[in-house]
Amino acid sequence: MQVTILGNPEYGELSVRLDPGETITTEAGAMSRMSPSLEMRSRVMGGVVSGLGRKLFGGESFFVAEYGGARGGQLSLSPGLPGTVCHQRISGDVLWLTAGSFLACTAGVTVRARFGGVKALFSGEGATLLRAEGEGDLWFNAYGAVVERELDGELTVDTGHVVAWEPSINYTIAGFGGLKSTFFSGEGLTMKFSGRGKVWLQSRNLPATGGWLSPFCVG
Amino acid sequence: MKIDILARGAFTSALVHLQPGERFQSESSAMFRASSNIDIDVTTRPKGGAGGVLGGLKRLIAGDSFFLSTYTVDNGQAGEVGLSPTLQGEVRHVAVSRAAGWTCAGGSYLGSDAHLSLDLEFQGLKGLFSGERLFFVKVTGEGDLLVNAYGHITEVEVDGELIVDTGHVVAFESQLDYTLSKVAGSWVQSYLAGEGFVLHFKGHGKLLVQSHNPKEFGGLLGRHLPPRRS
Repeated sequence: MQVTILGNPEYGELSVRLDPGETITTEAGAMSRMSPSLEMRSRVMGGVVSGLGRKLFGGESFFVAEYGGARGGQLSLSPGLPGTVCHQRISGDVLWLTAGSFLACTAGVTVRARFGGVKALFSGEGATLLRAEGEGDLWFNAYGAVVERELDGELTVDTGHVVAWEPSINYTIAGFGGLKSTFFSGEGLTMKFSGRGKVWLQSRNLPATGGWLSPFCVG
Repeated sequence: MKIDILARGAFTSALVHLQPGERFQSESSAMFRASSNIDIDVTTRPKGGAGGVLGGLKRLIAGDSFFLSTYTVDNGQAGEVGLSPTLQGEVRHVAVSRAAGWTCAGGSYLGSDAHLSLDLEFQGLKGLFSGERLFFVKVTGEGDLLVNAYGHITEVEVDGELIVDTGHVVAFESQLDYTLSKVAGSWVQSYLAGEGFVLHFKGHGKLLVQSHNPKEFGGLLGRHLPPRRS
């Protein structure tokens, strides 16, 4: 398998060459073009129950699409949002993703939807977080450019800007300062990360784009 | 006629240089600057193509604006017209020839030499149910064509067969055959995988595809917009 990321930072996409028998799993709707030698099948990732959980509580699709074929072939995958596509090698470790950031993974990686609890519910990102684990390659996408931080200590981030983080990092949900400043600063809720590990952030915020656009939506 | 493509990337625009006697047309909302000697004629009747109110209506359904603007210079001097698309993405120049006509997906047409003929092709009832704007603008003749896209444009040389999601098709050489179909063996499978309709291309020719799908982005952004008042 040969995967190339093209178009970063503003319109990242994946160009994938599959050898005979290899498969790649993608977010539903991500395929933009493919060789006719490939076949697509839809499947539920991480079992029916967590798939259902994803449908009910998260922004993530219920089903994922799997592409492969006996003769191999070429396909392109693009996320719904304009921005940077990132690659991460998973080998026995875990990566947490916000719902909507998952783009694709190889066969050895499992992505499960996890109800993030009440604190995730208030984060504005939907209550579902995705837990990627296993052995293989993972690609995820951001809205805008990606800011990669090697954390050793604490970091406060607007929830709309969080993409992924390593499990060695803990987080709590809070406002920026007290309740008053949360309401008046225009900053939503924040995630307070602490620990040692990597955090991926995005330079744009989709709810904020929607909020800015709303006054122009007439009729 | 000379066309400059400015600022490649997410915010491309085009600058068309006109000599006396030359005519260029674009979707009416595309012009954002013009030299003072440019005369703009708004019409529903593209030269040689479907004109009149019906033609305009067909164009409206195709995702382009109702009217086409035609630009000429009115004082015998050279002039220029700047065109910018609504979508954030690339603009490409395509040389249309008698040997190779081009077909643009509904919203991808930006402008063309007014000597080129434009005609609309309706993709059948299936197109209506798919929720996609399956109208194509067929461009024939000899001259310059400008297309726009959401995201980056990649030129693919089809040699044999290729499957493309309808939301990613920008334009293609008209000699390519295509059928509207589903990606998986069954409609249920296709629907669940989030892939509605795809175009199955066959033959030999150039195809322009866009990296991103405006419908996908619209769907994600739409959740953060106020509900539409009916």
